Amino acid sequence: MVDKELAVQLKRLYVTPGKCIGCRTCELACTFVHTEGGGRLRRTRVQVHDTGGETFVPVLCLQCETAACVRACPVEALVRNELTGAIDVDEERCVRCMACVVACPFGNMLFDEQAGVVVKCDVCVGRPACAMFCPTKALEYR
Amino acid sequence: MGLISFSINGTAVSGAEGETVLKVAGRAGIRIPTLCHHEAVEASGACRLCMVEISHPDWKGWKGLVTACLYPIEPGLEVSTDAEAVLECRRNVLDLLLARCPTSPVIRDLAAAYGLRETTLTVDADPDNCMLCGLCTRICAQMGHHAISTVGRGVKKKVGLPLDKPSESCVGCAVCARICPTDAITFREDGRQRKIWGRTFEMMCCEECGTSYITRAQAEYVCEREGMTIDYFEKCDKCRSRDTARTFSRMVQW
Repeated sequence: MVDKELAVQLKRLYVTPGKCIGCRTCELACTFVHTEGGGRLRRTRVQVHDTGGETFVPVLCLQCETAACVRACPVEALVRNELTGAIDVDEERCVRCMACVVACPFGNMLFDEQAGVVVKCDVCVGRPACAMFCPTKALEYR
Repeated sequence: MGLISFSINGTAVSGAEGETVLKVAGRAGIRIPTLCHHEAVEASGACRLCMVEISHPDWKGWKGLVTACLYPIEPGLEVSTDAEAVLECRRNVLDLLLARCPTSPVIRDLAAAYGLRETTLTVDADPDNCMLCGLCTRICAQMGHHAISTVGRGVKKKVGLPLDKPSESCVGCAVCARICPTDAITFREDGRQRKIWGRTFEMMCCEECGTSYITRAQAEYVCEREGMTIDYFEKCDKCRSRDTARTFSRMVQW
């Protein structure tokens, strides 16, 4: 359930690449949050890339207004969560056609091979762990 | 819109008007076995596994068996998912399914859970894993392809192609195979090509690393439906993600 107080004002995840030191704590936090019942670590939804010259960039879903993933989905399994502003995957509706994974122009729709499901950033339903654990505030939720 | 209150196995539950018993039970954490149900597809009550017993204080003791996936909830309804009549009904259904699909691991496991190791009926002379629930044909139609359907009648009924010829409207998305509850539909894929339903489809390979997820025909179908361009589908998620990072990094340096 979404904490309604958190959702009063829609927040956004801000990425400041210049502050990222490439420690990948966000990736670890993400996998932990999205792993249920102490199972094997799930696919991280935030990915830190080394773009050379000691510049690291964390890449995660931009929650686009007119999203390619939503357009490509044939069964309306991708829906905007009005409380968090994020686009959520309805795993029960998803038919795993993979169209969204390829359609995303930013590479933020991911396939969790181990679980056989499509996953994406859901801003941890209003409490993004990546931003919470980022030591340099390269990721901020405000 | 008011909530409808009723009970499942004596526990008070509620749902919105038009919701089915199966939907509300799922939300309440009460498990009802199903094979042919999928959230994205309109329910058809084909597999008969989700049978539950219903009654109502106003029904003067009358009880009936209905499919949970189709039965709309109503105020005061009393649902039982584990009455002896329900269990017996499910055992009979599984007995029939076992006779048809004696080697399907999914059906064997389900049957074993209801105390059935082997069918008590005559096993189908030419058995396969398809139990004719039609989930594959329904999702195919819903996605707009209508490539496969059930063909023939009675004992000759099967899931297949119109006139047994490769279908023009199939895009090779393989959703039929992925959605099949008993894994009766198979396809072969080697990264460059996918073979399914008698046709060979070219895969949309990432122009950088060659990874492929969908067929070119499927990409073209989505493009046509949504007015998107094919370049949306020309790279894989990993290469796109790296590109995004590079673009962000350049933006920072400006």
